[in-house]
Amino acid sequence: MNLGRIAAVAWKEWRETIRDRMFVLLAFLLPVSWMFVFGYGLVQDVEHIPFGVIDRDHTALSRDYLYRFFESRYFSFQGYIPSEKEADGLLQSGKIRVAIVVPEQFEERLLRGQSLGIQTLIDGTFPLRTDIIKGYVIAINSAFTGERLVNYLARRSGSSVEQAESQVHPIRVEVRYLYNEEVRSTWSMVPALVMFTLMVSSPLLTALGIVREKETGSIYNIYSSTVTRFEYLAGKLLPYVVISSMNAVILWTIATQWFQVPFKGNPAFFFAASVVFVLTSTGIGLIVSLLVRTQIAALVITMVVSMLPTILFSGLIVPVSSLSRGSQIQAHLFPGMYYTNIVRGAFLKGVGLEVLWLDVMALALYALLLRGAGYWLFTKRPRS
Amino acid sequence: MKPVWTPRMQRIILWLRRLAVMTRKEMLQLSRDVPIGLLLVYSFTLAVYIAGNGIRSQLHNASLLVQDSDHSVSSRELIHKFKAPFFRLEGEIHDPREGLRSLDRGKAMAVLEIPPRFHEQLMTGEPTAVQFLVDTTNAPQGLSAASYAVRIIAQFEQEIVLARLGGTETSPQNLPAIVSDHRVWYNPDQNDTWFESVSHLLRQITIFAILLPAAALVREKERGTVEQLLVSPLTPFQIMLPKVLAMTVVILCATAVALFGIMRPAFGVPIRGSALLFFTLTALFVFSTAGMGLAAATITRNQAQVGMMTLLVVAPMMLLSGLVAPMEALPTWTRNLMILSPLRYFIDIANGILLKGSDLSLLWESVLSMVLLGGGLFGFGMWRFRRQFD
Repeated sequence: MNLGRIAAVAWKEWRETIRDRMFVLLAFLLPVSWMFVFGYGLVQDVEHIPFGVIDRDHTALSRDYLYRFFESRYFSFQGYIPSEKEADGLLQSGKIRVAIVVPEQFEERLLRGQSLGIQTLIDGTFPLRTDIIKGYVIAINSAFTGERLVNYLARRSGSSVEQAESQVHPIRVEVRYLYNEEVRSTWSMVPALVMFTLMVSSPLLTALGIVREKETGSIYNIYSSTVTRFEYLAGKLLPYVVISSMNAVILWTIATQWFQVPFKGNPAFFFAASVVFVLTSTGIGLIVSLLVRTQIAALVITMVVSMLPTILFSGLIVPVSSLSRGSQIQAHLFPGMYYTNIVRGAFLKGVGLEVLWLDVMALALYALLLRGAGYWLFTKRPRS
Repeated sequence: MKPVWTPRMQRIILWLRRLAVMTRKEMLQLSRDVPIGLLLVYSFTLAVYIAGNGIRSQLHNASLLVQDSDHSVSSRELIHKFKAPFFRLEGEIHDPREGLRSLDRGKAMAVLEIPPRFHEQLMTGEPTAVQFLVDTTNAPQGLSAASYAVRIIAQFEQEIVLARLGGTETSPQNLPAIVSDHRVWYNPDQNDTWFESVSHLLRQITIFAILLPAAALVREKERGTVEQLLVSPLTPFQIMLPKVLAMTVVILCATAVALFGIMRPAFGVPIRGSALLFFTLTALFVFSTAGMGLAAATITRNQAQVGMMTLLVVAPMMLLSGLVAPMEALPTWTRNLMILSPLRYFIDIANGILLKGSDLSLLWESVLSMVLLGGGLFGFGMWRFRRQFD
């Protein structure tokens, strides 16, 4: 091994990369732009759900009840609907997501002290959304029920409203939100986006950079040179590791300075773990680049093996513990999950190596395996 | 006898023949690219299956630890209400610090703390409080877990209250209570596999529709073969259109395989509307998005650049068009920006036809928007291409 030769290969690679202005621009612009677009764009607070009302009662009390939906920021009223048939059309075209049906005798029954059912027709195409809508409706219904009950009991037994209140609600639920006390989507999303961005952009950069040399044929210079396999791979990867590490720092700065996400952990630990992760993600790019011959194949394959599993299985959106068995196994096979734990742990939980050592180990092992596979796959005597 | 064609007809036939030859060339070129072929197969079969099978967007199996300081009938009854599919009981702890440690490690998502004398307080009508600690490093999931917990406890509470009041003279029938009665349409069982497999199919169609034509065009630029095409009697339109045509045919076939080979047999995804309409509109969608790819290809010089360019466009489209988070969840500016994403309309169209059984009379707005947008994008790509080479 000759350090001088590694440096020479790295230097050559660096010059080549920064001469392609567009490539440089995208290598740095892409991560930053993703960070901003998703950091602002992927806030998942479901609000303003378009809804319609079929009011069969038309009384003061039914209006009072519906008013709670009109006033809620979670719902956005689209208009009264004459019948279920029209509701079907509106639901099908997506103009409304839910229709609330107030039955006849709504006021009469409630005043008489009888229970009744409120029907909601919900668009079931997106189960997550359906679930959220159900939750909102139930919350409004039980708040309304609670008030009616308290009134009714106070009137019936002649006790005070407070007494009736404690009779109706004996259990207080204290919910404590840990790590992200105000439950801001941005706080949970932005650190995970650091993971997403590095996980997708650095394999891509690496794969394209290496395949470019294969495709243009300049790799034959390497084949015929005295540079060994190890020196070539080490030098070749170095610039990409450096670029990706720089990106990690840039993304961290955006997250903490621009999005004001608290960073509770130890920066030294975080950056060290990030370098380990970058070694892994560039390793994926290396493997892809050794298996394909054209840049386009490298591009598409990297996108499919890095982007989709990262969206689906890294804990970015759905926690790994909620996945099905098979998908959990898949999640453990991709490095994204481990780094998600590290990023969220370091940003929001303020934990370090004492808790996350297993994740760091997994990433390190991954990096080693990928490097080993890369070394084994790369040969200076290609079959033509 | 050979038919006699008018010169005008001859020109049309020649035009069509050139188109056919060029389309065949693109198909051949694509079929020789083995990695891409394998990837196409994987993406439209196994990947769709995995995504449909594996992803649960709703709260599912949230791991829960319980600290029960009461160990009574009531506390046990409450704990048993936290059950699948929303929660998974991970075990019992005795020390609050233990709970926090598990949350730190990510071993549990939530901890439920039941105070001592819980049962006694409930029976005597004294107010009591339970605590629910939830990890919100994933905010939407944490919120969802908390909202389920509150719902479960409220239901438990209501049962107790009604039983207590019922013990005197009233039955639940005779209290002014509203019973929530939901009717979920189009997917009454709330089968996640339907939505997730359709979404995944749409994601794959989008990636390939943008990347394949863009890459094919830029590859010709890179290798210089585009010069050969330009000196041939082909117009720029005749060079670009076959690329899109070839890719559309390939993507439609792949879609058919995914739909009839995976999604219907494995998940029972219904095709409630017209399959013909679905494939026609899919072709339209592929055309629209291909226009984006071609426009990107004219700005860039090599494949690496076009890849990066499309990523700038594809990633936001995939995450923000309403496949991962519902459109209603996104801020206004995102929703306004996504007016420019053909995928946004295609999601409504695909779900409408497949799951809701909608026809054109209900979908025409989405279709029109998609066509106008696609026409614009394709026109822009053409204009760039012409300017570059004329």
